[in-house]
Amino acid sequence: MKKFASLFHDLDSMTKTNDRLDRLVVYFENACPGDSIWVCWFLAGNRIKGAIKTGELRSFLSERVNLPLWLVEECHDRVGDLAETVSLLAGSNTVNKPISLDETIRKFLMPLRTMDTEERKETLYRAWDYLAMDEMLPFHKLLTGGFRMGVSKGNLCKALARVGKVEPAVIAQRLSGSWNCDNLSLEDILDPSDEAKDRINRPFPFCLASPLQEKAESLGKIEDWQVEWKWDGIRAQLLTTVGGSGMLWSRGEESMDESFPEVLECIPHLPPGLCMDGEILAWGREGLRSFSRLQKRLGRKNPGPSIQKKEPVRFQAYDLLRVHGEDLRSMPMEKRRARLEDLLKKVPDHLPLGISSLIKEKSWAQLELRREESRDRGVEGFMLKKKDSKYESGRVRGSWFKWKVDPFLADMVVVSAQLGHGKRANLYSDYSLAVWDESGKLVTVAKAYSGLSNDEIEEVDKFVRKNITGKFGPVRGVTPSLVFEIAFEGAQSSGRHKSGVALRFPRIQRWRKDKKIEEADTLEVIRGYAGMNDEVCNETGPKSDADGNLLLF
Amino acid sequence: MTLYPLKGFPSTLITQTFFLKNEVLESRIQGLYCPAGDFFIDPRGNVPRAVVTHAHSDHGRPGHGSYLCSDTCEPLLKLRIGQDCRIESLPFGKQIKIGEAIVSFHPAGHILGSAQIRIEVRGKVWVVSGDYKPQADQTCEAFELVKCHGYVSECTFGLPVYRWQPEQMIHQQINHWWAENARDGLPSLLFAYSLGKAQRILAGLDNNLGQVFVHGAVYPFLEHYERAGARLPAVIKVERGQDHDFNQAMIIAPPAVEDSTWTRKFRSARKGFASGWMAVRGARRRRNLDRGFILSDHADWDGLLEVIKATEAEEIKVTHGNGDALTRYLQEQGSNCTVLDGAGIRGEEEE
Repeated sequence: MKKFASLFHDLDSMTKTNDRLDRLVVYFENACPGDSIWVCWFLAGNRIKGAIKTGELRSFLSERVNLPLWLVEECHDRVGDLAETVSLLAGSNTVNKPISLDETIRKFLMPLRTMDTEERKETLYRAWDYLAMDEMLPFHKLLTGGFRMGVSKGNLCKALARVGKVEPAVIAQRLSGSWNCDNLSLEDILDPSDEAKDRINRPFPFCLASPLQEKAESLGKIEDWQVEWKWDGIRAQLLTTVGGSGMLWSRGEESMDESFPEVLECIPHLPPGLCMDGEILAWGREGLRSFSRLQKRLGRKNPGPSIQKKEPVRFQAYDLLRVHGEDLRSMPMEKRRARLEDLLKKVPDHLPLGISSLIKEKSWAQLELRREESRDRGVEGFMLKKKDSKYESGRVRGSWFKWKVDPFLADMVVVSAQLGHGKRANLYSDYSLAVWDESGKLVTVAKAYSGLSNDEIEEVDKFVRKNITGKFGPVRGVTPSLVFEIAFEGAQSSGRHKSGVALRFPRIQRWRKDKKIEEADTLEVIRGYAGMNDEVCNETGPKSDADGNLLLF
Repeated sequence: MTLYPLKGFPSTLITQTFFLKNEVLESRIQGLYCPAGDFFIDPRGNVPRAVVTHAHSDHGRPGHGSYLCSDTCEPLLKLRIGQDCRIESLPFGKQIKIGEAIVSFHPAGHILGSAQIRIEVRGKVWVVSGDYKPQADQTCEAFELVKCHGYVSECTFGLPVYRWQPEQMIHQQINHWWAENARDGLPSLLFAYSLGKAQRILAGLDNNLGQVFVHGAVYPFLEHYERAGARLPAVIKVERGQDHDFNQAMIIAPPAVEDSTWTRKFRSARKGFASGWMAVRGARRRRNLDRGFILSDHADWDGLLEVIKATEAEEIKVTHGNGDALTRYLQEQGSNCTVLDGAGIRGEEEE
């Protein structure tokens, strides 16, 4: 329990994902496997359910520390967290004989679920007598189920992968589904021996395109290139194993099975040992929908039938990397495409599975004209893939390009600032930006972190420090004065922001020292970019048929 | 009683609840007033005679006609409100007569020179605690319990979640943190109130670990602490235009400079804050700090209860902080306790 408590407190005080990852690796390398498996189980999102009701916990506590219940509740209000309140009030300076996390859980937590009130009280009292001060908070976080340590399941897999020298994808497969600490051990998770067997079931590193920075003509003949729309969704690989199961794997190296169960329903209709590269898109009866519709599905695990029906998705395939266990990545793009088309022809129509259509134009100039359709279609521009190219790992130059549409631009006012991290720690380098609404007030529409030079950041920092108007946690209100030109990829309606809009990928284009705040843009302009002034467009999104072909003509 | 408005005084603080009025003390808008001696205690505004518990800015304010404080408080108060103010001082324990009142100072254990003020009028004794802590502190006079009929107690940390560890433990934690940062080649920037807390931390530092620097606001108090017998390490005052190698250093600065350009010198530093407020995790996290050290110069919950009980006071008034919870608790225990009027809640910025 000591090592776990120290892990808990360290993760709690760390602010950077990478530091947390490193710390977790150190834990797994030093803790005993019986404890590590519990940490895996909790970080994978599992909870000990039904151990205690919070009302009961409060009344036990009140009785034990001899404080009236109202005072316990007063404390809870001040502290804001029940687990921490219990820890602060019931904690004592006992020096205990250390027992393992596994033993602590099996002795003091698991049995609570089946006990009657008196037994439960006695067990908790014994736990409070037993636990040292620093073990109290982690223990009660496990008890109340509010266990969060800023480590995602994906990062858990990465940490385990580093410990066991097994790939994150393999770990993710082993950790998926429902399991408990009695039927899965750390040894099973880190076992390198069946790597070879697993290999044919594993996703591949994604091939990433570079931005096209020169004229398209410089790429040579247009006939040598395969052109597709650049879809505005979530990059993913859809896999089937030889055993008949499958997985949806994200570029963030995480399994997305729980978020998009309908895509997994395709698996029985697909050949075994398959890996397709593609994009998850919001896709209704009318075709492609905007990314904001897809966002309604993001972060929602195990979506119910109603949300699946209201916000349908599909997997838009654009590459075939493996089939029947055969690795096709060194095959030319053109051939892989042909195999993909063949394969998808055999798949039943009702499945949420499509293919990314090809765009054929005679010249680069004509293609450039068609790029203008991108905004209306709800895509981000073109993908250009050389027809003789292999599927490579990571960012490639020369064979895959993304030819994006130009970003939107708007002038915005800095209204608050926050200290940056890392190299920019102690510098106000993160800004909230606002535009004018109809009533003449500045409303925040975006946050931007990047785009200024170091000298400019120092200059803004100086200004911020002299012009702080208020504190809101780590955020400092700033007298509106600075105007930045902000580039962004799109705007969408959002209930989270007061302004009602949220921008995609906002970044600072330049500092408009020549502009006064009165000259900044209005909310109406931003709404116009989101198509929000136009009700119809907002509801249905861009019009296209099931293949993504334009229906505007 | 008459309330006369004071210029620039926020009206929200004028609450009509629980005025104190007896032959020893009464509530007035400027603060507590002793009619028998015609003086105020820790007053606001401008009054002819101010008796001051200690040199913190929410107790010893500039602008009064003359001041009375403890001997060790005097030089600190002068630094705060100006060398030209009329200040007289008394040794701890010595009784003097002011009008009809017998007044004496008794150590409050809060910071150097901090006093509880005992006032006796016609056999009735009231004690105004100022800020106090019964816990050990090597940099100031130890808290002295004074029995009385009425006790005006602070209660900055009036909830049972605030319970302090012995100061040696916290000093150890700070030294450990410093050593760790120095090993990583990073400065340790520790925020602490410039009068009292900063000196208490300095006294606990292991100066084998590296050079200690202090902000200019901390520096002037040090000589007076040393004169009073506190053993402090050698420090360097951080001054404009001077360049030092801070990479293994400990730097002590007041929390108010956290947002100023001053801290930019220590961009790579790990940042900590030493305060009783750090007992609650949310307070720590909101500040975006690397570490919080739970070190307070106020009584914790248990300290408040013990002291209040031990004074054997028949009447208790609480001020400064979460008085409502403490008051209700004491009332339920059978004490005659109420919240003093005008008792403001303290924010995390002050202590």
